[in-house]
Amino acid sequence: MEHGGRHCRGIAAGRTSALNVVEATLTRIRARDPELNSFTAVTERRALAHARALDEARAHGKSLPPLAGVPFAVKNLFDIAGLPTLAGSKINREAAPARRDAALIARLEAAGAVLVGALNMGEYAYDFTGENAHDGPSRNPHDLDRMTGGSSGGSAAAVAGGLVPIALASDTNGSIRVPASLCGLFGLKPTYGRLSCAGTFPFVTSLDHVGPLARSARDLALAYDAMQGPDPNDPACADRPAEPVIQLLDRGIAGLRIAVAGGYFKCNAGEVVYALDRVAAALGANRDIEIPEAERARSAAFIITASEGASLHLDRLRTRARDFDPAVRDRLIAGAMLPASPVVKAQKFRRWYRDAVLKLFDEVDAILAPATPCSAPLIGQQAFKLGDSELAARANLGLYTQPISFIGLPVVAVPVPLTPLPIAIQIIAAPWREDVALRIAHALEKSGVVAAPRPAE
Amino acid sequence: MRSGSVHDMTRKPRPKRTAKKQAPPAVSSKIDRIEALAAASAQALALPVEAAWRSAIAQNLRLLFHHAALVDEFPLPDEIGPAPVFRA
Repeated sequence: MEHGGRHCRGIAAGRTSALNVVEATLTRIRARDPELNSFTAVTERRALAHARALDEARAHGKSLPPLAGVPFAVKNLFDIAGLPTLAGSKINREAAPARRDAALIARLEAAGAVLVGALNMGEYAYDFTGENAHDGPSRNPHDLDRMTGGSSGGSAAAVAGGLVPIALASDTNGSIRVPASLCGLFGLKPTYGRLSCAGTFPFVTSLDHVGPLARSARDLALAYDAMQGPDPNDPACADRPAEPVIQLLDRGIAGLRIAVAGGYFKCNAGEVVYALDRVAAALGANRDIEIPEAERARSAAFIITASEGASLHLDRLRTRARDFDPAVRDRLIAGAMLPASPVVKAQKFRRWYRDAVLKLFDEVDAILAPATPCSAPLIGQQAFKLGDSELAARANLGLYTQPISFIGLPVVAVPVPLTPLPIAIQIIAAPWREDVALRIAHALEKSGVVAAPRPAE
Repeated sequence: MRSGSVHDMTRKPRPKRTAKKQAPPAVSSKIDRIEALAAASAQALALPVEAAWRSAIAQNLRLLFHHAALVDEFPLPDEIGPAPVFRA
């Protein structure tokens, strides 16, 4: 289970070739993916051609780009030239093939990374489980009877299962961070507008983010640096120059003020308490901080999601309702029926909440919070216990992620390798301070407190 | 949104005046109002909702109104605009 960074160092040093790396990746996918069900398409011919081109460049003495030969795959809401962009749906199978790659695929390939395929996801991203009514569930490599989390289920299964070192995913209310938690991975949901969504099938444009999943903080940083930069093709992408972080990772945590989110984020589930305490202790984070009105923020994100999602799919709901996953269909239809004024109020509350939460970063540089209220439930499990309550899995796995993505704060999810199942903690930073969250993640990883565990053989 | 502000799609026509004043119809249960709203909305939006789906849709709509109520009860001054700002 090589990290991406090690692949490219090996290729640059001549210890291996891009072709060897990609062929080994394709062999692993063939062997292991039938049980993980993470891929919906493998772009074998394209991947081998790219690998050969990289090897030829090296043979001619050309210097290799920073991610040369690193295999990666993408959630199937990213456009891949020549393939229909499924977004986890049956309906999109009939869409015309994408004419060009999504912006982030183009940027990663320009950095030398090699695309090997498209990954399973929850239908139209309206999902926290990683299950899919049409393509089957992605399976958690740590226990194949358990869910990966979603909606970036295939992305998490492929990386946690050792098929690829890096996968691209999306996160509207938690779809990078929830699967990072349930599958024991590092996940980066950057600041809203940091990475271009151009060439991706949307869900809730008010809240959509894209970002990587990986097995190390360094690989997250490598991928993130390659993907940064403005993009006029995405109106939500900030006109902000790239701010590379890879050279900043080893600065450590000295001088950083880190607190633990209290109140709404206090979870009494045993594994969550243990994981959060371990991370907080390692960072010397000995104070709590209250994120005001977090429960209300979650509700606001909930209704904005329902309303915008419904609007996006309204025509499809009128003509193809039976071709939706019923669990997605019924939520979308309900969203279409919600009156407008609470949704407008939710967007106004968002302005208030953003201003109130940003004030906290006058006193802290990062805030820790659980990523999920539990470790991975069983596939098909409808509910999980939280204290004395039973909560519906689909709606509530994103309990702790939703109030954070609501205002676009950058988050690195770091996996705590508990047995039998891992669980992640969110490192939440101020807008545009992905460097802070990644430095903390890297320091925790170096100290051994967080790590992406290998699945038991 | 508080339940009292939901448009009452089940309102019956006013009874004709008689010598004895009639009592108003009993207030529908909250559950009935959500299901009625869902049925009327499906018609208004031209959404083909099958009978087997109605219960789950109503349940989801109830949940959305629960979340909407939490947002609605938070006082905000008139001057606060929505977070997304349009630029011409």
